[in-house]
Amino acid sequence: MRPENYQAISHPPSNEYELNFGPNHPGIEGNYALKVKLHGDVVVAARADGGYLHRGFEKLMEGRLWIQNIALVPRICVPDPVPMEVCYSMAVEVLNDMEVPERAQWLRVLQLELSRIAAHLFTFGGHAATTGMYTTMYWGVADRDQILDLFEEWTGGRVYHIYNIPGGVRRDMPAGFLDRVSCTMDYIESRLPDYDNLFFTNQVFVDRARDTGPMNQQQALEWGVTGPNLRATGLAFDVRRDDPYLVYDQIDFDIPTEAPGDAWARTLVRRQELKQSIHIVRQVVEKLPSVSGPVRTQIPNPLAWNVPAGETYTRVESSKGELGYYVVSDGGDKPHRVHVRGPSSMHAVQVLEQLAVGARLEDVAQIMFSLDACPPEVDR
Amino acid sequence: MKEIDIPIETSAAKRRTNPLARVFDELVRFCRSRSMFMLHYCTGCGAIELPPAMTSRFDMERLGIQPMVTPRQADILLITGYVSIKTLKRVILTYEQMGSPKYVIGICSCTVNGGMYWQSYATAKQLDQYLPVDLYIAGCMPRPEAVLEGMRKLMDRIRSGEADGWEDYYRRYDWYLGNQQHLFGDDWQTPADVIGEASHYDLAGPGTEGEHTRLLQQCQKPLEPQQTFFQIGGSLEKKGESHE
Repeated sequence: MRPENYQAISHPPSNEYELNFGPNHPGIEGNYALKVKLHGDVVVAARADGGYLHRGFEKLMEGRLWIQNIALVPRICVPDPVPMEVCYSMAVEVLNDMEVPERAQWLRVLQLELSRIAAHLFTFGGHAATTGMYTTMYWGVADRDQILDLFEEWTGGRVYHIYNIPGGVRRDMPAGFLDRVSCTMDYIESRLPDYDNLFFTNQVFVDRARDTGPMNQQQALEWGVTGPNLRATGLAFDVRRDDPYLVYDQIDFDIPTEAPGDAWARTLVRRQELKQSIHIVRQVVEKLPSVSGPVRTQIPNPLAWNVPAGETYTRVESSKGELGYYVVSDGGDKPHRVHVRGPSSMHAVQVLEQLAVGARLEDVAQIMFSLDACPPEVDR
Repeated sequence: MKEIDIPIETSAAKRRTNPLARVFDELVRFCRSRSMFMLHYCTGCGAIELPPAMTSRFDMERLGIQPMVTPRQADILLITGYVSIKTLKRVILTYEQMGSPKYVIGICSCTVNGGMYWQSYATAKQLDQYLPVDLYIAGCMPRPEAVLEGMRKLMDRIRSGEADGWEDYYRRYDWYLGNQQHLFGDDWQTPADVIGEASHYDLAGPGTEGEHTRLLQQCQKPLEPQQTFFQIGGSLEKKGESHE
């Protein structure tokens, strides 16, 4: 720093000060920032400061062909990319009035649930790390890698799969793949008691997460909260059950809820969802051998594919909450307008700003991780 | 693609002739390559492959590389993926805060040529126009094995003295600053005194100062107290009253 630029900055005597929390901060999730005003170490006000990851997806998608956008959409949410592909594909299918083969629907469900397990394991790790328990993070990331190995064998990609296309999925699964899925599910299920002992019943976690960042059901509904965060306030709303898509209406699963609505409840809901997802994967593994047929319908030449004019909104339940795509076509070979309704843009902006008030500075990171916000999806 | 308009001395040419000094230099470089702190700054989507690379399965720590939370103590700046223009300002600020020698690794295709976002209005396309990049790890996104391989390559390059991007930043500061001003506007400034540091390291050359640094000196003004961010939510006094 130039010496002439040094200047003592005088403040009025006060306990209050402002602090930049992020973007280069170990407690923040991804490339995201909060500006917090503190009284002592209690947060008085917080403002979200996003835009560090803005790429202009909705504009980029207007300039690319319908099929090219399939490669673009998973980048919107990095830890949980599969719902993006599925939701966009479903929107294009609705516009085309296209029927998806049944086997492709079951394959999509399998992929969605595996992705949910991977995303939840990653989130536990992050939340545990903010309370100082790094072992859980090491375990969670290592167990998530088991799922990524399955994805790699199945689709060729560890993180981004580009597997779902409008009309179905790209190819069938390799031989003997379902056995390996079962093995991995057995392994992850056998790990759950260890996670309970290490993290979920750990007194450090319970003491710190209880009553941290609480919201009640009415607030959650007003703020547009969806997904596990809404279920943690006691409302059993799940797109998979209340607006079934694919073959979720043929699958048996529970919707776990918790009443308190604090960071502890939100993480506990995810823990129970993990069990439900394993249960769903087991059902799909049982069902898939009896469902035969093609894995995709015939689509026109994708390079000259004029989708009929119209507009639609499709939604799926991602691991973060309700994810929707509003797609408008003007009959051309490119979308006229695409809007992404990402769950994290509600959770990480207005909800986080409200919940951080009254919390202590060291709990801000914990609140953000318990909301499971995904910064690339906030900024898009 | 790097436009090199001034001759850069190779590391072999500036190797000291005194045999004892050469042994000492090699020892220093060896130690440097074996103990590196990597700045924990996730600029883009490639950051998702760093936790697997750092934790139990691939375990970057066995190479002596650990994440570090502050730029002052860090040696490596990982640019994990696309950099939007807002992020690039912070990245440059962070880079100038790091102590020399410092190394920049560009991960993912987006740092090489824009990648998926080549037509985006919000991202900077070529990272090496704004910062000296020592190593690129291409791929979208590179696997943890590729990240580890890149780290090993960087270690080799540090040991052989080839990883000298930070010296290039001092030598050709005017060119880098010109590109930064082209992107951020003429009043772009950082608090770092790069020219002073260049003469401190004895790296000031003909490319260090030029028209862009003159423009910087015209525009540079002392740091001001940060403007208060909270227009909503009341002033200090109001909050203070409500607490009492």
